[in-house]
Amino acid sequence: MRLRQSWWQSSPQMHELSIASSIVESVLEFAVKNEIKKVLEVKLLIGELMAVEWEQLRFCYAAITRETAMEDSSLEIEQVEATVSCPYCSFRGRPKYWEDALSCGPIATLQCPECGKAAEPEQGKECVIKTIKYVI
Amino acid sequence: MIQTIEASPDEIYDIELEHSLLEANARLARENRALLDAHGITAIDVMGAIGSGKTTLIGRLISRLKDRLGVAVFNGDATTSCDTDLIAEQNVPVVQIATVNGCHLDANLIGKALRKIDLNGLKLIFIENIGNLICPAEFPLGSKARVVVVSVTEGQYMVRKHPHMFLGAHLVVINKVDLAEAMNVSVAQLAHDVHTLKPDIKVIPASCKDGTGLDEIATELVAI
Repeated sequence: MRLRQSWWQSSPQMHELSIASSIVESVLEFAVKNEIKKVLEVKLLIGELMAVEWEQLRFCYAAITRETAMEDSSLEIEQVEATVSCPYCSFRGRPKYWEDALSCGPIATLQCPECGKAAEPEQGKECVIKTIKYVI
Repeated sequence: MIQTIEASPDEIYDIELEHSLLEANARLARENRALLDAHGITAIDVMGAIGSGKTTLIGRLISRLKDRLGVAVFNGDATTSCDTDLIAEQNVPVVQIATVNGCHLDANLIGKALRKIDLNGLKLIFIENIGNLICPAEFPLGSKARVVVVSVTEGQYMVRKHPHMFLGAHLVVINKVDLAEAMNVSVAQLAHDVHTLKPDIKVIPASCKDGTGLDEIATELVAI
């Protein structure tokens, strides 16, 4: 564990490692069952409302796929847009964004864009392997 | 030969394919919840940054509740047991969950902790999550409610910096309000930020030093 110290310093977002581990476990299980020699590409769907940092996920993925059937495979990530539904005014659609929240980009909120009351997330919490491309 | 398998949109959530990456944790969380429900226990997941006052707050709430109902605490901590020791002084069951290098508790660890204590007679379990406002958001544990503790000493922009945590919360405690003036932090603005993200959420300003808000939090938790 040579990086132990720097993990602490650099990664408040280590759940990317948990997610990367989960990807690798699922794909390798599939690869063993189906006698796949090499995995070329894994395509993920990640919801906009998920606190997942893509670059860190890629870094973890590359690190833990080494010396497996997934080594050097590409990790494609597609974002699923958030949608919300409002139980008060029956609004369904894209969420209201907090434009002036000092962040790098607007933040999706659970405030109904129509009536301002509390909306429920409908789409945007996905974290799914969509496809894998492989060689037999 | 290159082959592509593609799940059709209605298959994407198919658990048989085990393609949903957080499903394994979510399944264990449902099992924990079923076990808790069967014993009539409410578990409360307490989240917040390091130093936001999670342990002290839990300690104060236990003092108020332990004579009325059975309370236990699970303490998530990367390495130390000092928080666990502090809670144990109150003579309630407490389990330390050392995650070592992990930055969040997951449903599997909670499942193990649930098997460590006698659940009979308990009504409330506080799960003190790791001091981290980002990771625990995506890992449900089986709790009935999530409480996020944010203290004025973390500055004016804490809510804006960690929106995901608040989107999934049921109750927000703004802690250390006795220091708000010294910190030049507006409690009203913090509360406003929380309501911008999630309009219906209850926000309780509190101070473990002078007791502000503690009875209200205790009442709120017992009613969940």
